[in-house]
Amino acid sequence: MPSEETKERIIRAIDFGRTVLHYGWIPYIIFVGYTRSNPQPSLIKLMSPLA
Amino acid sequence: MASPVPPQKHFGGDIAFVPSSSSSAPSFPALSPLQNAYNRFSTWRSSLGLTNPGSVENLQKEVKNTHLTNFIFDGARADLMKGLSMDPAFQVTHSFSLASQTMPPSYSFGAVFANQQLFLQGNVDHDGNLSGRFNQGWSPTNVTKMQMQLGTTPGHSMIQLEHDYQGADYSLNGKVINPSPTDGSGIYVGSYLQSVTRNLALGFETLHQRSTPELTETSTSYVAKLMGTNSDWIATAHIQPIGVLQATYWHKLSEKVEAAADLQLIAAPQRRDAIATLGAKYDLRMSTFRAQVDSTGKVSALLEQRFAPTFSFTVAGEIDHFKNAAKVGVGVMIESSSLTPEEMGMMMPPGPPPV
Repeated sequence: MPSEETKERIIRAIDFGRTVLHYGWIPYIIFVGYTRSNPQPSLIKLMSPLA
Repeated sequence: MASPVPPQKHFGGDIAFVPSSSSSAPSFPALSPLQNAYNRFSTWRSSLGLTNPGSVENLQKEVKNTHLTNFIFDGARADLMKGLSMDPAFQVTHSFSLASQTMPPSYSFGAVFANQQLFLQGNVDHDGNLSGRFNQGWSPTNVTKMQMQLGTTPGHSMIQLEHDYQGADYSLNGKVINPSPTDGSGIYVGSYLQSVTRNLALGFETLHQRSTPELTETSTSYVAKLMGTNSDWIATAHIQPIGVLQATYWHKLSEKVEAAADLQLIAAPQRRDAIATLGAKYDLRMSTFRAQVDSTGKVSALLEQRFAPTFSFTVAGEIDHFKNAAKVGVGVMIESSSLTPEEMGMMMPPGPPPV
């Protein structure tokens, strides 16, 4: 059984990971899509609903 | 002991490691009877000609796709979809919805990326609530999936990790929901579905819920799936030990018409209830029409009309005869593409891995 201190540290790491996932997931998909798309789209077309 | 490979003597009689030359030759001679029995069993098993029954999760997939419960909406909705690439598939969506009776007006942004192995999907609304999916296919039979819902309010987050294995005549799936590495709490689900004959598959799903290390709960539900020989009809049953039976029947009447029935019986000590739903779906050249009636007095219909390849219009309506209530929904979907027609025709998009 891990000690209280280790538990605390694990919980804090999970919270941090969740925050990273929360803010980073959409940018990550856009980055993967933008870099691997064929042909590569322009950034303005990517973000704007009207362009 | 009938061993195809004689044990090699080596340095004082130790049985040395024999590298297997072919996959059927046993690596350890002592295990060869087991290996032989296993080989005979698997030959017999493959001679039955059973097919993969599909997973427990997708048991009612056809029925859910025919009924409009998962598709209906009310109020007004607009989806602006932008395809940026075909192979690999990459698209972004802006959706707006307002004037719904049950939901506040909302805006959400979605992005999808898919190639042969990888499927990434994310959706974020104006409050910052994120839902995402991640599927990684290791081989055609092995898929690892992750699903998450991360909200801005603490305690409303959900993460689900899942692995799917599709064998030649069975499917195996393991799932963990909100696992905690410190005290092992979370929900653990395992399911198995096995083809018994060409038309019948039987399986079970076990759910182990661990709210705290002391408080655990395990329940097993059983499923059965009966299929027509050329899979033009499917009947399923799902029995949960708390006294819930869900039975469905789906029939493909013709190339364009599908009908489905669903019966849900709850016979728990404190509550007895039953709901029957009957629905049909018509796939026409430029439109899809779904109609449904259920035993709670609801009649609903949904029409998706495609006026042009890039523009479609959706109308949904529901009348609750017993409560004297009605819902109406109108939606438009505009698909624009940054690709030229030549680029569009270059490649068909690869389908996302089965979800």
